[in-house]
Amino acid sequence: MSNWRLMMPTTEAYLLDKVLYELHHKPDDLAAYNADKDAYLARFKLTPEMAAMISGNDVAGLYEAGVNPYLLRAHCIGVRIPEDVSLAALRGLMKEGDDKWLN
Amino acid sequence: MAELTGIYTASHTPVMLNFPDRIPADLRTEIFGAYEAMGRDFESGKPDALVVLSNDHLHNFFLNNFPALCIGVGESYESPIEHWLKAKRRVFAGNQAFGAYLLQEALQADFDPSFSMEMVLDHGSLTPLELAGLDPDLPIVPILFNCVQPPMPTMRRCYQFGKFLGDAIRRYDGVERVAILATGGISHDIATPRMGMVNCEFDETLLQLLEAGDPDAVVKYATEQVHTAGNGAEEIRMWMAALGAAGGLPFRRAYYRAVNDWYTGIGIGHFGQSELAAATGNHG
Repeated sequence: MSNWRLMMPTTEAYLLDKVLYELHHKPDDLAAYNADKDAYLARFKLTPEMAAMISGNDVAGLYEAGVNPYLLRAHCIGVRIPEDVSLAALRGLMKEGDDKWLN
Repeated sequence: MAELTGIYTASHTPVMLNFPDRIPADLRTEIFGAYEAMGRDFESGKPDALVVLSNDHLHNFFLNNFPALCIGVGESYESPIEHWLKAKRRVFAGNQAFGAYLLQEALQADFDPSFSMEMVLDHGSLTPLELAGLDPDLPIVPILFNCVQPPMPTMRRCYQFGKFLGDAIRRYDGVERVAILATGGISHDIATPRMGMVNCEFDETLLQLLEAGDPDAVVKYATEQVHTAGNGAEEIRMWMAALGAAGGLPFRRAYYRAVNDWYTGIGIGHFGQSELAAATGNHG
């Protein structure tokens, strides 16, 4: 498999990235998000599906949408998605042959 | 004319600080011991300045403006920037004149780095310095490579930049003794389906090629095989730069262990003649 979902970000990935970036770097954003996720996400130009991926902690969906993996990883830790939950969501996307170098 | 006292390569991961208990205590002690041994070797060279080759993990830089290469010319650098990183806050002293020299020399040598007079360093710089127990007052020049968001500079370009960097440091007369710490890699996946599945064969081959001392073979292997070793392995760009800066000095691995529960192939190495490898032993 490739190291990267996208070799050049799409606008959709960029907009999702922007939420994950601002959420963990602007001083009051994480508190605002935790207080009312939908209201916070309404600040961004997201489709309802994109907003639902973030508010629903859809780690697999965000990966498949091509968000930057470092932003996704920091978000998982930052909003305290349990480590084993995020790992399982990602591992569930493994396709046959992705790990062939392990044999 | 500055003397390069040592060129070190070492992995970094926030997991070491955030989730240390995910691996057995004896393994953790062994790994932390390897970083401390690197720190002792580093300090024995008595450097006056440290050039840190690392990468920003989308904290200072975002997709609205992302440099391929950025040289720090700040008076000081706060760290860490991650609100979630379990590390005490500290402020590194910057060597602003040295950073400015390297920036200007790089442009004269036809490289095109960006520069920053204010960065808050993340775990990529903080973790190895912290674990190695380095003097917090040692002035640093951080140089950050884009390894985290394609498109990225090539492995060969990073090697060539390293060659420039080693030469420029040796020509500098503003400090007497300089060390380089190149940090990142080796095999690891961040937030992908392979996360936690370290490609230790990639790591072993890379280390063997480095030890064999053929830079072209190292750069070729890194370029052609990094896709098998995970997005975090893209950070071996800093190892390519260290290889260039070493200018033919021999490489020795000091430590290697594939640590799946820390998601990372933890590697520590050194270019030069010191006894670091003998002091810590090799672990496969």
